[in-house]
Amino acid sequence: MNKAVKRSKKAALVLMVPATGFFLASCSTEEPVPSAVYKNAEECAAFYNPPESCKAEFAKAEALHQQVAPKYQTQAECEADFGAGNCPEPAAPVPGQQQASSGGFFMPMMMGFLAGQMLNKSSSAKQSVPTQPLYKSKDDLSTFRTATNQPVARQTGPVSVMPSRMQVAPGKMASRGGFGAQAQRRSDQQSASSGG
Amino acid sequence: MKKLRIAERPGWRSYAESVGFNFHTFDGEPYWDESAYYQFSLQQIEQDLEGPTEEIHQMALSLVPEILASEQLLQQLDVPAPYWDWIAASWQSQQPHLYGRLDLAYDGNGPAKLLELNYDTPTSLYETGFFQWVWLEDQLMRGKLPAGADQFNSLQDQLEHRFATLNLLQPVYFSCVADNIEDKGTVHYLMDIAMQAGIDARFLGLDQIGEINGQLVDTDNYPLQSLFKLYPWEFMLREDFGTHLKSSNTRYLEPAWKMLLSNKGILPLLWQKYPNHPNLLPAFFDTEPAATLGAGWVRKPLYSREGANIELVDLQGQRLQVDGPYNDSGFVRQAFHPLPKFGDSYTLIGSWLVGDSAAGIGIREDNSLITKDSSRFLPHIILD
Repeated sequence: MNKAVKRSKKAALVLMVPATGFFLASCSTEEPVPSAVYKNAEECAAFYNPPESCKAEFAKAEALHQQVAPKYQTQAECEADFGAGNCPEPAAPVPGQQQASSGGFFMPMMMGFLAGQMLNKSSSAKQSVPTQPLYKSKDDLSTFRTATNQPVARQTGPVSVMPSRMQVAPGKMASRGGFGAQAQRRSDQQSASSGG
Repeated sequence: MKKLRIAERPGWRSYAESVGFNFHTFDGEPYWDESAYYQFSLQQIEQDLEGPTEEIHQMALSLVPEILASEQLLQQLDVPAPYWDWIAASWQSQQPHLYGRLDLAYDGNGPAKLLELNYDTPTSLYETGFFQWVWLEDQLMRGKLPAGADQFNSLQDQLEHRFATLNLLQPVYFSCVADNIEDKGTVHYLMDIAMQAGIDARFLGLDQIGEINGQLVDTDNYPLQSLFKLYPWEFMLREDFGTHLKSSNTRYLEPAWKMLLSNKGILPLLWQKYPNHPNLLPAFFDTEPAATLGAGWVRKPLYSREGANIELVDLQGQRLQVDGPYNDSGFVRQAFHPLPKFGDSYTLIGSWLVGDSAAGIGIREDNSLITKDSSRFLPHIILD
């Protein structure tokens, strides 16, 4: 007789049990992922990468630049971090078009880009490395850095990076607290779970 | 189906707390109750619960395109018009759903009757999928239950498999009201299973969700590409960030179309489309919610959780009402069908779905005919 069992074969917990070395150590056991840094699409192609892919990845980084670059109210503040001449005037908004997200702020020039996982499409890494713009700060002009000031490489070419440090984030203040008011209002009336 | 007494496992409360079950006792009253259990035959499980659960689910799914095609129905369900196209898009692009729970009245004989669907924010997941499972294994090991006893409970296996195949962009964020201990327990359990399925799962308090140019973001302003939220859709749509739900490039669990099926208005729509179906009770939109309810009827708000704002008049005309915070939507009326009584308690069966598959049951008991968030949870076995 081969009777089908109606219950789970196992019901293990890993997260809810008391903290063990595995989870505390999980940050330091993250595997580095291969990527590459180039100044522009041409340099990328010179490293024997498909020119079309290089152009596409560079364009992606340029588009992200508007969103993620550090933003300053004044040119002086920007140049204090990124050096004289490295913070161009913001582009004037084109009438009738939606204002670019740089929104009249000063941003440093993009000095290069991280070519994501272009060379590494079959990577088994759980977390991917996004293609993104890179910058150089005034006090360390030899190091390529992400918009969130993570150092990436001191020269162009292949590089290993930790995916968790390479995640992109919009370089702008977020507003918070836009969810939760209904539960608050209702729990003021009685103790209520949001579930059921 | 019968209820049998059994000795509690010595020290189960400390064990419960060691595995994150911090709400086993609620306001000093037991929530997890292992002083007794329910026993079903395999035939009762398969023919009366598992099969009908999947059938009712398919019937409910069949209503989604009909609701989306009808402005009148969307209005009747109190779905805000600015979201209609967005909800329709979530259905047309076949955004996958994770789970749901049907509440059934069943006494071991005859067809189980559908009382309602919890298709947006169902809880009691951990108690069903994990703690009840461990109870069975423990009691079998101790020889307190007959060898060969089984349980209708593949919930955790199915959830893990579902997470592994949903193809969500990572990390996947899990959010709820962070200071609600029960909701947070449920979310932690889902995160635990997701991690076992290889997902990078991260908790984000509901009030920590940020917004930049219409994109929802985490505390580092990283875009939320995948978001599980244990928080009612009908609340989110009406809150400050509601409008960003549409513009944000985010895959939600449950998907937006699921809000149509977690609405109590689905009960009259099911009855209209499948009249006299053995698992359904007569149900109607209540056009006169202020009118006195006749004998044999239950009145429920379109949006309600945990038995709140439910009014019931039994066949003898005795009236029972639970107050609550859900008094600002329309109402439905459903024919009264008494919950079976085992000893002093009324018993309700929560029947789970993962994706479109039946995945197990959890049993709730209350001293009254209305099951609430404080109703006790009892384990069950299958034995022939």
